[in-house]
Amino acid sequence: MWEILRRPLQIGIHPRMPAADAISPASRAPEGEIQLLGEALRVEVQGLFAGSLKLRHLDAGSCNGCEQELNALLNPFYDLQQYGIDIVASPRHADGLLLTGPITRHLEEAVRMTDDATSRPRLLIAVGDCACDGGFCADSFAVHRGASAVVPIDVRIPGCPPRPADIVRALLMAMGRASVLAASQRVAKR
Amino acid sequence: MSVTSGDLFPLDAALRGIRERFADVVIDADRTSLRERTVVVPAERLAEVSAALAQEWGGSLLTMFALDERAEGGRYRLHVMFSMAPEDALVTLISAVPELAPSYPSVAAHVPAAHWLERELHDLVGVKPLGHPDLRPLVAHDGWPAGAHPLRKDFTPPAQWSWAPRYHFPLVEGEGVFEIPVGPIHAGIIEPGHFRFSTVGESVLRLDVKLGWKYRGLEKLAEGQSFSRGLELAERICGSCAFSHALAYCGALEELSGLVPPPRARALRSLAAELERVHNHLGDLAGILNDCAYVVGSASLARIKEIVHQACDTLFGHRFLRGMCVPGGVCRDLPDDAQQLWLRRVLADVRADVEDVLRAATANESVMDRLRGTGVLTPEVARDLGVTGVAARASGSTRDGRKDHPYAFYRDLDFFTVTHHDGDVLARLMQRGGEIHESLNLIDQMILRLPGGPLVVHIGEPQPGRWGFGVVESPRGLLSHWLRIGSDGQIGDWRVRSASHAIWPAVAMAVPGNIVPDFPLINKSFNLCYACTDK
Repeated sequence: MWEILRRPLQIGIHPRMPAADAISPASRAPEGEIQLLGEALRVEVQGLFAGSLKLRHLDAGSCNGCEQELNALLNPFYDLQQYGIDIVASPRHADGLLLTGPITRHLEEAVRMTDDATSRPRLLIAVGDCACDGGFCADSFAVHRGASAVVPIDVRIPGCPPRPADIVRALLMAMGRASVLAASQRVAKR
Repeated sequence: MSVTSGDLFPLDAALRGIRERFADVVIDADRTSLRERTVVVPAERLAEVSAALAQEWGGSLLTMFALDERAEGGRYRLHVMFSMAPEDALVTLISAVPELAPSYPSVAAHVPAAHWLERELHDLVGVKPLGHPDLRPLVAHDGWPAGAHPLRKDFTPPAQWSWAPRYHFPLVEGEGVFEIPVGPIHAGIIEPGHFRFSTVGESVLRLDVKLGWKYRGLEKLAEGQSFSRGLELAERICGSCAFSHALAYCGALEELSGLVPPPRARALRSLAAELERVHNHLGDLAGILNDCAYVVGSASLARIKEIVHQACDTLFGHRFLRGMCVPGGVCRDLPDDAQQLWLRRVLADVRADVEDVLRAATANESVMDRLRGTGVLTPEVARDLGVTGVAARASGSTRDGRKDHPYAFYRDLDFFTVTHHDGDVLARLMQRGGEIHESLNLIDQMILRLPGGPLVVHIGEPQPGRWGFGVVESPRGLLSHWLRIGSDGQIGDWRVRSASHAIWPAVAMAVPGNIVPDFPLINKSFNLCYACTDK
């Protein structure tokens, strides 16, 4: 039992790496950045989604780079779940879909069926260059030019793959815009 | 036990045997490579020669593909490439198949390792292997129109094309036998693939794997393109194996240009390749422990994998090492002691942490009960299907591409080929743990012995018609790129075979006899790339 707990107790709540500033001026320090972004994200998710935003991943032909970065969002460094965002196993449980890949022709039907199964209202988030606009293989006969060719996309997160911190920042921006939209709709109703 | 010369020098024995038994072949018609020997074989005898090479002369099938040469000579051209490991040599059997009768006796009927390769060339080039045991489409889905073969030179996508998948699954008949379809869209953050189980209760009688969902036509896209566009495509076939693909692609380009990258570049390439191996193995281990419900171990390993990715990002600018390997060398460096020391400190922590997690996991009886005896891949099946890499070495193989066909800096490095014998999920877990340890040793060696000098050598303009072959030991096994220059001096033909392509049929053999709830665990213990396989 002690074996399992020893390391986590040593490392503490916020895992960190040896400081990289001395060796690389352009190095990103994800842990500091993530804490700032994460707090802002928590506030937005609380305000817009009452503290719970459930997302479903849908792979439409990616190279699996974006998958690994989405998986990284759940690791102890980023720990997406602490902000109220979680990945669910079924589109029926989801508030939104995270699409990766350009949408290969073979997967078009599966993407449409998954989108149909997602209960409305839903957010459609394109993660990675391929989902945004077809990416590096956009000219291939076997793929669509990005997810918007098949389903209406609300948020685009470019990158090949986008780093986990970039995904969090993009979600935050999207929520910022969504909250502006919600506010303007409230004004219009009056 | 006496050692015959055939054991020590399998290539010589093989070529002698071919010359003696098959009088109508032509050996080394136009030899351009130091390690590849070509044997031109009439198409009717291709299966015979392949069988003899595989069964008697120690060849293991690496890859097989077809090329459309109807414009040049009214034929399709088949290449069947064998590795003569432990000797650093390759034997390529070349056959011509006439344009008007594009068929030949199937190699897979005698060499099971060619099974999926022949299905794929039948889909993509339209050459038919006669007598193939199972010629269902592999990459294509049943709705592809007749005559749609993307890798033919005159291919244009037909206007009417139903991409919807309709596929015939062989069923097990019998009272109480159920058919369970799973996928292609799965429950977690994972790639798409379809699995069709025939089960009685929870016991799996048969598993059929249907892939091809991620087919992006990348080999077609590369035709007529520049080498840098080819590199961009190669690096994005897969995220896990991005650096290995770049390395194999650049290796092919360097072979056909007759150039060797400078020593510092080769050392940095090996270093990056080992970093890639470590982060892959960590992810696979995290997946295995997650599917045993040992979540604390899985979370710890995910943290450690993140550390390796951040190290790659900090030192080389990309978490998956894209943009580092270029034809002729590398374009990123570990310039000074501060960086090297930083990396060694980070990796020392990684080593200690991985050991802790694995020790805790293997001391846990519930975990060991799940892992032991589950999903056994026998050495015979592994050998017959041409399985390489972690899965092969966990079933007793001692083959390792870094030793058998050295590339980058591996010839000058000292490391141990880890191997296990039981072939179950536990063996594949321990295999990865051992390989992480060896990889970290290798990285230490390279940092200490990093040679000075330039980072890149200029490739120049390769001759049209020449081909090159790059083979590397990717995190999952042997991965190869074959590249031929077209008449315009750009990419003419490109054929990629990943390790995962060879191992998928073995997964289908490892699952029957287990229960359905153990399938995710068995699948994770191989953790093959779907993107690498579909291209």
